[in-house]
Amino acid sequence: MTATSHPRSSPHRLRLLLAGLVAVFSVLFGFGGSAAWAASSAPIDPTTAQESLAVWLRQASDKAGIPDVSFSVKGSGFDATFTTDAEGRATVGLPGPGTYTVEIDGSTVPATAGAVPSASNPREIDVSATNQNVPVNFLAVAGDAGGAAATPAPATSASTPATGTDTGAGGGTTSGGSADTSDPATTTVDAAAGGTGFWGIAFSKLVTGLIFGLLLALAAIGASLIYGTTGLNNFAHGELVTFGGLVAFTAATLGAPGWLGILLAIVIGGAFGLVQDTFIWRPLRKRRVGLIPLMIVSIGLALSTRYIYVFFYGGDRLALPNDPSPFLVLGPVSLRFTDVMGAVVAAVVLVAVAFVLLKTKLGKATRAVSDNPSLAAASGINVDSVIRSVWIGSAALAGLAGVLVGYYQSLRWDTGSAILLLIFAAVTLGGLGSAFGALVGSIVLGVFMNLATLVIPENLKYAAALVVLIVILLFRPQGILGKRERIG
Amino acid sequence: MDFNFIWLSLGEIASPTTAAYALATIGLVVHFGFTGLLNFGQAGFMAVGGYAFAIATLKFDAPLPMAVLATILASALFALILGIPTLRLRADYLSIVTIAASEIIRLSVKTSELTDITGGATGLNGAAKTFNAINPFPKGNYGFGVLTYTADQLWVRVVGWTLVALACLVVFLLVRSPWGRVVKGIREDEDAVRSLGKNVFSYKMQALIFGGVLGGLAGMLFILPRSLQPDNYGTQLTFFLYTIMLLGGATTVFGPVIGSMIFWVTLSLSDGLLALGINSGILPITSVQQGPVRFIIVGVALALLVVFRPQGILGNKKEVFFSA
Repeated sequence: MTATSHPRSSPHRLRLLLAGLVAVFSVLFGFGGSAAWAASSAPIDPTTAQESLAVWLRQASDKAGIPDVSFSVKGSGFDATFTTDAEGRATVGLPGPGTYTVEIDGSTVPATAGAVPSASNPREIDVSATNQNVPVNFLAVAGDAGGAAATPAPATSASTPATGTDTGAGGGTTSGGSADTSDPATTTVDAAAGGTGFWGIAFSKLVTGLIFGLLLALAAIGASLIYGTTGLNNFAHGELVTFGGLVAFTAATLGAPGWLGILLAIVIGGAFGLVQDTFIWRPLRKRRVGLIPLMIVSIGLALSTRYIYVFFYGGDRLALPNDPSPFLVLGPVSLRFTDVMGAVVAAVVLVAVAFVLLKTKLGKATRAVSDNPSLAAASGINVDSVIRSVWIGSAALAGLAGVLVGYYQSLRWDTGSAILLLIFAAVTLGGLGSAFGALVGSIVLGVFMNLATLVIPENLKYAAALVVLIVILLFRPQGILGKRERIG
Repeated sequence: MDFNFIWLSLGEIASPTTAAYALATIGLVVHFGFTGLLNFGQAGFMAVGGYAFAIATLKFDAPLPMAVLATILASALFALILGIPTLRLRADYLSIVTIAASEIIRLSVKTSELTDITGGATGLNGAAKTFNAINPFPKGNYGFGVLTYTADQLWVRVVGWTLVALACLVVFLLVRSPWGRVVKGIREDEDAVRSLGKNVFSYKMQALIFGGVLGGLAGMLFILPRSLQPDNYGTQLTFFLYTIMLLGGATTVFGPVIGSMIFWVTLSLSDGLLALGINSGILPITSVQQGPVRFIIVGVALALLVVFRPQGILGNKKEVFFSA
């Protein structure tokens, strides 16, 4: 049928995997440092240059251009300083295709305009041959953002949600294409900007990928548990993710501190799962509706829920209060407070989930139902209540993932649905229905997606992840940790 | 008050978009309704067909027959590539692979590196030039009232619905042929058909290619009256087609046609009514909030249909295999 695989003991495989991860880490933390920049070069006339950049610095709040700000463009042996014009624009001629680093000189930004978030400044831009006027947009944020805040703690200083950082501005406009905000691939904040040299960039992409993988795992474990216990490929799982982000956003708008927003997202997210199970999925199970109609119901639910979000929150990006100043610097990688906290919270929660699944009665019951519902029922497990718990837990995890992704990348009505296929890919990669497989799958996928951008265009990394999904189904449809019989 | 929207909504019955959706849904009926293949990537087939036609016409100056041939070959090839790894797997695997493949197509064609060929994120414009060049209708206006069409608009409607009628006829005959019986047998019980000595994989592949080609032709029809935009081929296009299919009847030949007409008239009418309500101040929502409402309606309709009337309008309850 498919590529044969001999059953191996999974603890052994897990150990191998852990050993591999440790090895990767020890290698990666061994390097770092920065290359010296080339000496200053003469400006090139943008009208005659084959390649050029169109830099535009604006105010985040009213999109007004900020004039007379100097910035440097470095890369490919080119190093020059320029100044924005009255509209905040400047066109820079380049010596040839390559990767350029554009950095706004923060000291020349007027104090009234605020500062350019360090997450987007400096920024690396890939310029392909004959790409002219490649957009490089910066937004300056008023307020204390980017200032010399000694104790950046956005989680507790969430009182100014209105001055959100438009962190995605130009984040994906790398090579002349117009930014498309609907794909996660192009809305990713390059939290690890500032990498130097190939290994520096690779390292920063690895860190970005690991963090994203952890966040993805939160959502993927839930999707995997739901699949395992009910057989449903929940196409509305992305909406559970978005829901958590929206809860946190609403809490922040009402002046709640960040930690409260996260807590509310988990609690209200879980309640949303309970409501869904009680009013939609449980009645459908009672009606003995087949799996394919259930899948289609989840699609309908996803479609309407997503657009109910648009109805109430609009189609624009929603800003969660975030401090863009660097919090942790690892060699060429600088991370914001929220990036670090997101990864830590995700890791802690994932360990807690693993504990619940392995050690508690509920966890064992969940795995029993996942394995064989009839046998579980026969041995006295209340399958329905297990499934209800799974829905609550999965929705709560998805809600947490939503807030953290909202902090990490950006929040929009389609934040969750944009990563839905990545969730599916992670679940399939790890092995359908296996919670730990989903964890491994997510991290592998997150790292792969980001490392892939070393060789493919940034905006294709999402497609690359989907290609992985298809290739896995070709050669190992049961996934990394999945059981062979699941392919049916 | 302006009630022209009622006439415009009724005009949707014959619009080329309705015809394109109907044609794509007929392809989906071949996949899902008759063979039981859970194809969630029909949007990808439409994209492949549309791009093949537009690129052949605009970049290679191919004459119309060659461009149509390119459309058919490209969508058949896409089906082949998709089918080889997935047709042996379970239905829900196929659904995830097809939805992923259609997203790969959409994301790939819009990258700036391919702008010279695919037009990048802006898409391609003017693919209908060879099609309109052979328009037999003399220039002028046809129709009455608000439903007045130019010669080109009339031409695309005539050709579109002719295509739909032909597709209906072919599918109608195929389903009643020995081939159709085998394919329906696969839908009901794959192992039983295999035990009769039939090559299930090959039949499934034929069905995937045939339905995919119909999807590709629908993609071509879809861009004749408009420009080619990569973001038109997102996953929700596929979900619209599923709604249309379940509305008309997933196991019927003419269901997609009825379904597509009802779908577009309803959307258009609800848009018109909402706009009327908003402009006259009856509804307490803004005109920005009007946009999402149609999607909310479609989503709810899709969920309710599959649970409460899985056979659709024309279907036979006994043939609803998937609610078992």
